[in-house]
Amino acid sequence: MKLSAARPFRALKRRPDAFVFGGYIFSILYALLIVIPLYFVVVSAFKNNTQIISTPLALPTALDFGKFVQAQVSGNLLRAIAISALVTTGTELVTLALAFPAAYAVARIPTRLSAVTEGIFSLGFLIPGLAILMPVYLMTARAGLLYNPIALVILYPAFNLPLSLILLAGFMRKLPRELEESAVMDGGNVLQIIFYIFVPISMPGILTVLVLNFINIWNEYLFALILMDSNNRTIQLALALLRANQRSVDYGLIAAGVIISMVPVYVIFIFFQDKIMSGMLAGAIKE
Amino acid sequence: MASLTQAITAKTQARAAADYHRRLARSQRLTFLLLVGPALAWFLAFMLWPLVNMFYISTTHWDGLSLPQTFVFLDNFVRLARDPNIAVALRNTAIHLLIGIPGVLPFAFMLGFFMSLRKPGYRIFRTIFFSPSMLSVAALAMIFLGLYRPEGMLNAFLNAVGLASFTRVWLGNQTTALGALIVIDLWSGIGFYSVLFFAALSNIPEELYEAAMLDGAGYWTIMWRVAFPMLLEFFGVVVILQFLYILSGAAQNVILLTGGGPGTATLTLGYYLYDMAFLVQRLGYSQAIAVMLFFVGIVVILMVRRISSRLSY
Repeated sequence: MKLSAARPFRALKRRPDAFVFGGYIFSILYALLIVIPLYFVVVSAFKNNTQIISTPLALPTALDFGKFVQAQVSGNLLRAIAISALVTTGTELVTLALAFPAAYAVARIPTRLSAVTEGIFSLGFLIPGLAILMPVYLMTARAGLLYNPIALVILYPAFNLPLSLILLAGFMRKLPRELEESAVMDGGNVLQIIFYIFVPISMPGILTVLVLNFINIWNEYLFALILMDSNNRTIQLALALLRANQRSVDYGLIAAGVIISMVPVYVIFIFFQDKIMSGMLAGAIKE
Repeated sequence: MASLTQAITAKTQARAAADYHRRLARSQRLTFLLLVGPALAWFLAFMLWPLVNMFYISTTHWDGLSLPQTFVFLDNFVRLARDPNIAVALRNTAIHLLIGIPGVLPFAFMLGFFMSLRKPGYRIFRTIFFSPSMLSVAALAMIFLGLYRPEGMLNAFLNAVGLASFTRVWLGNQTTALGALIVIDLWSGIGFYSVLFFAALSNIPEELYEAAMLDGAGYWTIMWRVAFPMLLEFFGVVVILQFLYILSGAAQNVILLTGGGPGTATLTLGYYLYDMAFLVQRLGYSQAIAVMLFFVGIVVILMVRRISSRLSY
């Protein structure tokens, strides 16, 4: 009886199925719709304007990095990358230093306050960036930090705190109770427990948070646009300005800029794909 | 006698224990506040305080940083109701929402379900579908500039397949500009949410599918009758995410590509707010738009939550 019950299921799985066929068709079509524009941008970076217009999808005739050099000359991308790297590093450090102890408290100290705290931070998901753009600009101006990358290092952690805290707290909640019990018996204080026990054991969670925050910070455009000026462009601003700097559009130049600006993110994407996807899912569910 | 002493000791012990627990609780609460304090202060100062300021500024008349700011209470909101641009912005935002949500989520769900069957190649699809989500708004805009500009890839393609009469200046044409911007969000959104759906569907126990299959259900039935009901609440979350993105984040595409034009063809609520705040410098008025944006967001979130939690039972 049992055997015969198992058989039709397996048969169903092996049978060529119209749904699976359709799934492949749609998936391949959509994948092509994604890949073709990306491919177009990559090959455009190695072509001149006439080639881009007349044969948009043809492979470049030569591996000429001239457009990358030109993009650097016209947009000073290296300086922008340096500023973005500083802002990103600073923001990552500040965010983690703030979020980790808070996440420990929320996850491991039994008090009713932890639910309240999580509630306050999840308000962050509901505040549209545009709504606070002007007030943030005024605050920055009053503090005398306008056009200073420090302003971004102060501001970005606030944007990244809700997700960081929720992901880290979720990670630490799953750790066994005995972890701090033994440490308390040895006479360790909270800070020691956090640094010597929870930071090392939470490395996978910390890595997820660092990766997600990296993508957010590196890619941020709106606040950098109003808070920075031409001397202190982040890479995203420099990229957008490649277009504004020219009278007629030299698309090869822009394509080279797109590639330069996206390399760090895609390198991280290749290595941490699963972490990025699961982290974003966890963030979405908690919202 | 002995039992009395025992009772007394037991009582003092109980009191000592209660005392200890109370002190422990108090010290724990203190520790909690010390650890959460810095993060909370940071968050309040740079997220919630600006929000409070948004409300305050919206009640003032203020036409430039160096000009005087006067309290006018609800004047800006009265102006909002009379401003013809607001009607245009609301209309464009509504169109964006009505295409940008139903145009993304069903396809994303179906692709996510298909990937969750883990047929050969699903990992490659997952990577490709997710890759547009790694692009910054600036990179996304620059890529689509290459497709949409008059001599761009899209027109080249139309010319090549003999549809030259369909070529347009996609971003410079009143009738196509808004649609062109919405397509950018469809392009990247379907992939992003399909991967989220895939991940969410991976948490459904496989026995449920198998049970349905034994009952003779095909994949299509399983997708809508088993998987979809399981994800109803998650569907609500995704609607909210996409809604908030279109309301606020999508304005960046307008800033980068069209500046609200041609005419007012791509003037959305979010872009109008940006325009008033930073280009026209009607600071008080811009924050009245921000208040409206904020409340539209809150109301819709509450509605979606209510509907999705009610449907889930």
